[in-house]
Amino acid sequence: MAEKVRCISPVGNANIVQTFPLAPRLDKIDGKNICLSICGEPDITIALEKKLKSDYNNVNWTLKKTYGLYPIGLTDEEMKTTDAVIQGVLW
Amino acid sequence: MPYIAELEKAGIPTVTIDFEDQDNMIHEEALMRGVPQVRYIHASRTLPGPKDVDNIIGPILDALVRPLTEKEKASGTWQPPWKRIIFEGTMDEAEAFFHQTEYIPHPINAEIAKYTDGLPVRVPTEERVAEMLKGTSHRPDEILTYQSDKGPRKKGEPVMFHPRNWTATVEKVAACAVMAGCKPEYLPAVLAIAESGCQIGSTHSFGQWLCISGPYAKEIGMNFGCGMLGPGSVPNSTIGRTYEIIARNLGGAIPGVNRMTSIGSPFEGSRCGAENTDALPPGWKGLNEERGYRKDESIMMVISHVNDGIRGVQFSPGGYRAFQKSGHGGIARKLGVKGIPGPHNWLEYLIPEFWVGREGPKTIIMVPEMARHLYDYGFKSKEAVYEWLWKKSFMPVKQYRDFSWVDLTTNGWLGVEPTSGKHWKELPDDYLVPAGGTEPSNFCIVVGGGDEEVSHQLSGHRFFTDPFYSIDAWR
Repeated sequence: MAEKVRCISPVGNANIVQTFPLAPRLDKIDGKNICLSICGEPDITIALEKKLKSDYNNVNWTLKKTYGLYPIGLTDEEMKTTDAVIQGVLW
Repeated sequence: MPYIAELEKAGIPTVTIDFEDQDNMIHEEALMRGVPQVRYIHASRTLPGPKDVDNIIGPILDALVRPLTEKEKASGTWQPPWKRIIFEGTMDEAEAFFHQTEYIPHPINAEIAKYTDGLPVRVPTEERVAEMLKGTSHRPDEILTYQSDKGPRKKGEPVMFHPRNWTATVEKVAACAVMAGCKPEYLPAVLAIAESGCQIGSTHSFGQWLCISGPYAKEIGMNFGCGMLGPGSVPNSTIGRTYEIIARNLGGAIPGVNRMTSIGSPFEGSRCGAENTDALPPGWKGLNEERGYRKDESIMMVISHVNDGIRGVQFSPGGYRAFQKSGHGGIARKLGVKGIPGPHNWLEYLIPEFWVGREGPKTIIMVPEMARHLYDYGFKSKEAVYEWLWKKSFMPVKQYRDFSWVDLTTNGWLGVEPTSGKHWKELPDDYLVPAGGTEPSNFCIVVGGGDEEVSHQLSGHRFFTDPFYSIDAWR
């Protein structure tokens, strides 16, 4: 009978991740403060900004814009007053 | 994704726009950040923006108002199963276990190795790993931590392996070293590589290559001569190979799932060379001394090789020698030194192509004879070469504007140009800016290789993350 071997796992240790529910959704978008957070991809995001503002003018749109890889975050104050965030495009 | 996770946890609903082929990566990232059900919409890689927006604007707004499903409302904990012993059985069965593959759908559509870099490995039995661990004084159950405070690292903090932010014990790194075919004396170098966290490319094609500086290279019999980045040398090949085996196992990096380098790079192999410190011209420091280590200290450089390929061997056989010895041939014609013996500054021949593809500092690997020519020409230190290269990189803003990456690095030209302190948009078209990075020290020279006169130019942001790790700390 062939000899048995025991092998050491080369696989890394994953930390326990606590998972959270998604934030409750909005009942409607009219009258809400919705932030459009833009990272690059101007071909999509310029058109998106324009259409959101023209087609959904009952929303109070705010904008965070960078051409870099990481989104510009909401300030603590903005966190209190922002109802939702659209992130485009996530890199 | 960290930002989206933060918003969702704070009670702010989000929707994210991304591309279909990135689904696996988003799932992975979202789970790691604790919001596995994050909502996202696919944009098109090919439709013009306005048409694309017509298609996605409805789903985007729907994602903000559509009530949550039970799954989306759930909370809990997640941890994949973990065992110290991953397999028990006969050697044949163990071989089959470690050489398993799994089918990865689009964008791969092929089988991908579950534990290896795709090549056969040595099975990491308990006995083999115990033997490998004789190469270090560190305990097998020690969690791998940073060994210094250099760069952004903090000594004593656990190393998080890219991309899943997993941690590892010294024993697990030793298992990877066994799989790559290393000898125990190579383990300190492998642990230094592991300390880097073995970052892998996300969407763009880049790999990493490795270079050892200091007496350790000679001690373990590395090849820093002819073909130092090529095949044949056991320490060069096996130490280099551990990078990918670590990335796959300790980082959980899976092509097409969470590493999306569209084409890949030959350096995703990976390759480890060594600097030939004995062949440095007088006054030229080794990489170790350049980064504040002593000459007798050994370090591992883990350097990104980004995007614009490997350029080299522009000189015909004998062409370089004819140029330096007697001023003959095409190089002499180009530089206007026909008939004039060297030393000549051969970098002048290459410089026009350095910033044709993209901006950024360069790493240049040159053979000892060519380093000596630069020294004889007048460059009495590496720093003098870096300064010369950097000054040569200056170009008008009008020309600089035609690169692609600069749209990002200047924040859409809204940022400040670092050498003038002025906003990019204030600078006239003929204002000169450095295409070679913000400072000369971002260049890098490695002296090594054989006798035939060639040099390789690689892109790479040498000090982007201070990619130097002590090997001695892991002895």
